[in-house]
Amino acid sequence: MASCDILSVLFGLGVWLATMGYAQLVIGPAGSGKSTYCSSLYEHCETVGRTMHVVNLDPAAEIFNYPVAMDIRELVSLEDVMEELGLGPNGGLMYCMEYLEDSLHDWVDEELENYRDDDYLIFDCPGQIELFTHVPVLKNFVAHLQQKNFNVCVVYLLDSQFITDVTKFISGCMSSLSAMIQLELPHVNILSKMDLLQDKSNIDDYLDPNPRTLLAELNKRMSPRFAKLNKALMEMVGEYAMVNFIPLDIRKERSIQYVLSQIDFCIQFGEEADVKIKDEDEDFGDDGPDS
Amino acid sequence: MDPMESSGEENFEEESHKLVDSLDKLRVDASSSSNFKKKPIIIIVVGMAGSGKTSFLNRLICHTFDSKSRGYVLNLDPAVMSLPFGANIDIRDTVKYKEVMKQYNLGPNGGILTSLNLFATKFDEVVSVIEKRADQLDYVLVDTPGQIEIFTWSASGAIITEAFASTFPTIVTYVVDTPRSTSPITFMSNMLYACSILYKTRLPLVLAFNKTDVADHKFALEWMDDFEVFQAALQSDNTYTATLANSLSLALFEFYRNIRSVGVSAISGAGMDDFFKAIEASAEEYMETYKADLDKRKAEKEQFEEERRGKEMEKLRKDMENIVCNLRTL
Repeated sequence: MASCDILSVLFGLGVWLATMGYAQLVIGPAGSGKSTYCSSLYEHCETVGRTMHVVNLDPAAEIFNYPVAMDIRELVSLEDVMEELGLGPNGGLMYCMEYLEDSLHDWVDEELENYRDDDYLIFDCPGQIELFTHVPVLKNFVAHLQQKNFNVCVVYLLDSQFITDVTKFISGCMSSLSAMIQLELPHVNILSKMDLLQDKSNIDDYLDPNPRTLLAELNKRMSPRFAKLNKALMEMVGEYAMVNFIPLDIRKERSIQYVLSQIDFCIQFGEEADVKIKDEDEDFGDDGPDS
Repeated sequence: MDPMESSGEENFEEESHKLVDSLDKLRVDASSSSNFKKKPIIIIVVGMAGSGKTSFLNRLICHTFDSKSRGYVLNLDPAVMSLPFGANIDIRDTVKYKEVMKQYNLGPNGGILTSLNLFATKFDEVVSVIEKRADQLDYVLVDTPGQIEIFTWSASGAIITEAFASTFPTIVTYVVDTPRSTSPITFMSNMLYACSILYKTRLPLVLAFNKTDVADHKFALEWMDDFEVFQAALQSDNTYTATLANSLSLALFEFYRNIRSVGVSAISGAGMDDFFKAIEASAEEYMETYKADLDKRKAEKEQFEEERRGKEMEKLRKDMENIVCNLRTL
């Protein structure tokens, strides 16, 4: 009988560990390719047989190339808000996001109930950086997800076509950090639209940065008075791998897979699944630790 | 050319080709550097949505009027409903944001971005209008779209900024929402973003701590002056990865030493004199460093700049094509 108790405890433990969710928060400037990323990832996962659900958190979104599992526009839409409350696009967006925050414990929880068991969600977010830096809306949303046992990772997209020289690269790192420090989450930076990049000769310098060479180039491009700042920023790039970017070419399966595995690693996707399987074996296989 | 006259898909495609062609003609010639004028000083006002850019600009305009400086106003926000001031050149006169949204079937963000793109194709006209009046003007005040990234991370934003910067001393003013930045993390986040703008534009940056009538910006000055004070505030505020935050605050310390900061209040009018002093000093800095560098790089980098602009035009063309594709799939 003792073995049954232990088994039931283990089974219970397995079930508890199994109700873990995984989430990507996809952010980045307008036009960086967030929605395209979400649909490519969704298609890729379908191909390899992984379950993935895409959630639209952008109340201003129009067209979707992916099936949407959860949509903020069912709760509130920017168009309606702007019309009914006479707000402009900024005010309207803020209103929508604050409305979402107010609905965390009802609408959001209700929707999340469908996705608790080892499920993987991708949140397609609005582009406005103000939502990350100035108001706690998205931070609170993330905290709520974490309370529901979701491991969350931020995926920051930047259009690779903008990174034409080292000053733009540093600029990209800074704007990514600007969002990163507010969200306090594991963070993956992606240089998107590599497929559209015509001159790929320089981009490797930024994907695999050599701080010393880049610093020399930076000092050339910036006025001499920035020498100390250049050095400090470049040191940070060298020291903190999280500041670095990984490339994404949506035409290439292996590029998408690489990005996905980096993110999986950040949110420890796959580790919990192992535990879950082991417990099930113990439950159905052995007669218990006594025998 | 009025982009709003035509309608229909085929016309749109035709229009987008025309736009790209006119954009091709937007060449910031090497010769424009020799037409370089020390006046007027271009002040591009950027900031997070809600930081008070438009109110601040309004106050700047009042101040130039009161102090008998000659100001010229350019509004680049296509979606603003009403401005408290009259703009000499207003994007809304040329591009109707709501029409753009309807005609090209875009959401509000796409609409603003496309409106800015359309306006950028005419920007050579704007620059020549200002050039013609250069002797009669002291400052050109530029209001940017509400959402900062529409200007800072867009091809058209870059084109507009560089069109100015290669012809006139151009200063970027980053408006900070002071009351919202009293938390050390939000402050740091804001400063990192300002740093990102500095590196993107490579132009002198002036931080305008706005809304000082609500919250005094003294704390900001303290934090910028002494990074240990800032680090102490940071540690007491949260449990974030101390090492990254500390590295960042050290880097930011170097950043603060390369920019000017003023506390202003658009409502009360405080800080205006300080602001314009900072602008004048930045313009001097512009002439010493950026302009000198500009001349030096002119010969070497002319080809490089043309190629890059070509890429941005290509990107614009592709953006337009995507819109056409989206139209087609509907």
